[in-house]
Amino acid sequence: MLKGFTRNFKPLEILSEGELEAIHRGTLSVLRKTGVRFESKKALKLFEKNGCQVDYTDNRVRFPEGLVEECLRKCPSSFRVKARNPKNDMIWGGNTVYFQALSGTRSVDLDTWEPKTPTRKEYYDAITCLDALENVHIIPWYTPWFGFKNIPSVMAMPEGLAARLRNSSKFTCSNYSMGCEVFNIQMAKAVGAELRSSMAASPPLTFYEDAVENAFRTVEAGFILLITSGSVYGGTSPATIAGSLISGNAEIMAGIVLAQLIKPGTRIIVQDFSFPQNMRSGSPGFGAIEISLHQVAFNQIWRRYKIPIDGGVSYPGSKKIDYQAGYEKAIIALIGALSGTNTIWIQGAMYGELAFHPVLAIIDDDMVGMIGRFLRGILVNDETMALDLIDEVGPIPGYYLNKEHTRKWWKLEQFIPRVADRLTYPEWLKGGKKDCLSLAKERYQKILSTHKVDPPLTQSQEEEIERILKEARKYYRKKGLISNAEWEAYMEDLKSPDYPYA
Amino acid sequence: MAKGFMRRFPPLKILTDEQVEAIHRGTLDVLQQTGVLVYNERALNVFKKAGCDVNFETKRVKFPPGLVEECLRKCPSSFRVKARNPKDDLLIGQDNVLFFNFPGTDTVDLDTWEPRSPTKKEHIDLIRVLDALPNVHFLNAYPYFGFSGGVPEVMKEIEGVALRIRNSSKVTIAIANNDIDMFTIRMAKAVGSEIFANPNTSSPLTCYTDQVNACFLAAEYDLPSMIWDGATSGGTAPASLAGAVVLSNAELMPYIVLLQLLKPGARIAVANLVLPQNMTNGAPAFGEIGVSLHNVAFNQVWREYGVPTVSSSCGPTSSKRIDFQLGYQKTMPTLLSALSGSSILQLYSSIYGEITAHPVQAILDDDIAGMIGRFLEGLEVSDESLAIDLINEVGPIPGHYLGKKHTRKWWKKEQFVPRAADRLTYPEWAKTGKKSCIDYARERMEEILSTHKVDPPLTQSQEEEIEKILKEAREYYRKKGMITDAEWESYKKIIEK
Repeated sequence: MLKGFTRNFKPLEILSEGELEAIHRGTLSVLRKTGVRFESKKALKLFEKNGCQVDYTDNRVRFPEGLVEECLRKCPSSFRVKARNPKNDMIWGGNTVYFQALSGTRSVDLDTWEPKTPTRKEYYDAITCLDALENVHIIPWYTPWFGFKNIPSVMAMPEGLAARLRNSSKFTCSNYSMGCEVFNIQMAKAVGAELRSSMAASPPLTFYEDAVENAFRTVEAGFILLITSGSVYGGTSPATIAGSLISGNAEIMAGIVLAQLIKPGTRIIVQDFSFPQNMRSGSPGFGAIEISLHQVAFNQIWRRYKIPIDGGVSYPGSKKIDYQAGYEKAIIALIGALSGTNTIWIQGAMYGELAFHPVLAIIDDDMVGMIGRFLRGILVNDETMALDLIDEVGPIPGYYLNKEHTRKWWKLEQFIPRVADRLTYPEWLKGGKKDCLSLAKERYQKILSTHKVDPPLTQSQEEEIERILKEARKYYRKKGLISNAEWEAYMEDLKSPDYPYA
Repeated sequence: MAKGFMRRFPPLKILTDEQVEAIHRGTLDVLQQTGVLVYNERALNVFKKAGCDVNFETKRVKFPPGLVEECLRKCPSSFRVKARNPKDDLLIGQDNVLFFNFPGTDTVDLDTWEPRSPTKKEHIDLIRVLDALPNVHFLNAYPYFGFSGGVPEVMKEIEGVALRIRNSSKVTIAIANNDIDMFTIRMAKAVGSEIFANPNTSSPLTCYTDQVNACFLAAEYDLPSMIWDGATSGGTAPASLAGAVVLSNAELMPYIVLLQLLKPGARIAVANLVLPQNMTNGAPAFGEIGVSLHNVAFNQVWREYGVPTVSSSCGPTSSKRIDFQLGYQKTMPTLLSALSGSSILQLYSSIYGEITAHPVQAILDDDIAGMIGRFLEGLEVSDESLAIDLINEVGPIPGHYLGKKHTRKWWKKEQFVPRAADRLTYPEWAKTGKKSCIDYARERMEEILSTHKVDPPLTQSQEEEIEKILKEAREYYRKKGMITDAEWESYKKIIEK
């Protein structure tokens, strides 16, 4: 099993008991009075059968408080998730903290900082890198990128999942679009892995049919369901953080009720994926501090419901790997970890949801190591307080450098980053003035030349993946979702002599 | 009064109450059993009189636990510090959080990233930028160690204090090395400002005479003191973090005892600059996570004592550039210190270690301070902010919040908008020249330098008084032989200019 990190102290909290209760009551009242719109006949019927008030003219469902609270209680407070290799299994919930890569639609040029579409080889290489990084515990959906050159967009998700299963044995996830979850679930089952998939609200207070359909399929497959709101406060939820929490939590709770009605005891993780609205450009305010305030309050509420939490989505607003990106990512991830997020998104993400780079994933991995070391806290006992040693060393000219205690403890206490510049000025000048970015580029090359996925897919697993992909291609081609031009470029890409391994 | 940030939720804790107690008992044990070296006759006598076990030959002082605890109780948990302009007065302690700068010996070239000595103008420019930034609540010593040209070593910081007083109305700090605070304290007094006395510990467990003298000056002039401890864990302190906390606390206590014996109720803040040792090159491991673990534990213990804490180790990092690494290395310790109850965060302007600083960096740090400050203020939970009626009115899609009056009112209250961050979309960013935060910070620096004026400037008579004290200091150190003839010749040329 992957240990990840353990938070050895109480989480950071910013709300009082009374404030928590006010948000809880407010959420239940929205569910009861305002209700949530479900564009799914199947869901409406299930809700009606279980005592919700369903209005079929506007597809609005109003929830009795008792049902909501009962369904919250049915969610397990912690659970194991299975990866393709059992050494990468995890336990989500409680005080465990895991980190996951965070994708972007495209790659970037590290000189001009402009976005560019990656190739299949770059896609596969980036997964190899994430598989090698010790603090990447999850390689989720869309990762590393939403797709790559020459594949039709409708095939991006099945091809992406296949790439992750081929190049990594870590836990992965897949999402829904045009029914592709049917193929994704088959692929995961073919290699003996579980998947996390999502049910995303369309705020305010709406779920569309594709999200609901995916929830049914994921729950019925026995996989883990992530339920998320994804509102932008000031746009699709109130501009106040408190109001946005109520509106978002009402959406998530409606999703939980559905999942628990489909199959009681379903493993659920709730996600905080909300941003303030940048009022000047209308885009989400990536990297803003309000994200962290929202996160801490969200965590405090959901810890009360004893449901594992996903979040700390560390998208910077900066377009470059620079100072701003550094502080933006550090604040979001660190506050997420301190306040009880169980699975945090960080490695590799650049601006918004629009860019990812594996070299940044390497730099982020150091930051994650630091956060993990902090979560472990300080050991206080006779040996660490070292009173006898302090007495023995005494005042100046006494010192600690050559003591056995120092030789033992510095290694236990210090976390050493892999690609941070830790040199003195003379060493740095002599070493060519390298920064973390150039050190990370070097590590990237080293990983690509040495890292091997453990274990690779077996011959029969590989055949099964290829068979499912073929089926998906045929299905979408027949449905007319792949144009002739797309099909030709796609077939050309598949002809590469090295396919499927890029 | 300077507007700090208010932390509106309980601080982050990583120790149990029992662990805090164990560290406290350990600290008292070190003070009683091992004791400290005090190279200062006057102080030895004061300690003796108060009941310490003093060995005048070895200079070792051992402290009875009762005395230490009594002196800790005499420290005010919050206090005010007076600036030359009342708008810059400081409230230190309670849940008020203030920021100031971390100095560098040198400036840095923003293209080659190599360090170099600043010119006098650059030195003043950094002071002016720090004076202009509203979240820099007071100024540290330096901000550079002197400037290029012929100012003798011992006069560098005395000239520096004069520059700060002339170019900023904010409170500053009087370092004690070579007893230069005898002069700089008078300069502050001449302009009607308080200044922090600044005794520094020497690790392990040693108090040098000039640092001890700072306590006597603090008592004489009734000044607040900021006591600094900068042990290196694994070098001058135990490599285990708990041991380093015990040692650094034991080093701070003799100054607290002395200050409270000299003037009961003396205003004190304790500053933590404890860093792990980088075991590959022997340098302090700036910017590493051990810094934060120490800060958070330190804050928790000193909150029990009711003595305000200063997190000094937030500022320096191991990066040589203004880059991603610098971003996370400065932010993580600052955030963790702020969350865990530091009263003062030493963040602004520093880049690598204690070596480089730059005004552009100070401007970038101002956004971090603003973000952390916004976080500390927490959430408002009220009927209006919960917005349940509004949620009901808007309902599901196609409802939305953008056009609502509630949104127009609240987004400004909820959101902190950074000044020098890139907040553009890709198309906007490409169209405007792909600017990064450094570009924006440079623009803001130019704007500050062309518009900012110190408020108020010194009066004619204040200026004359500063000049008089400078003259006295020059003569004093010349007489003491700390300015050589050759130094004096080139120094004279600068003075005459």
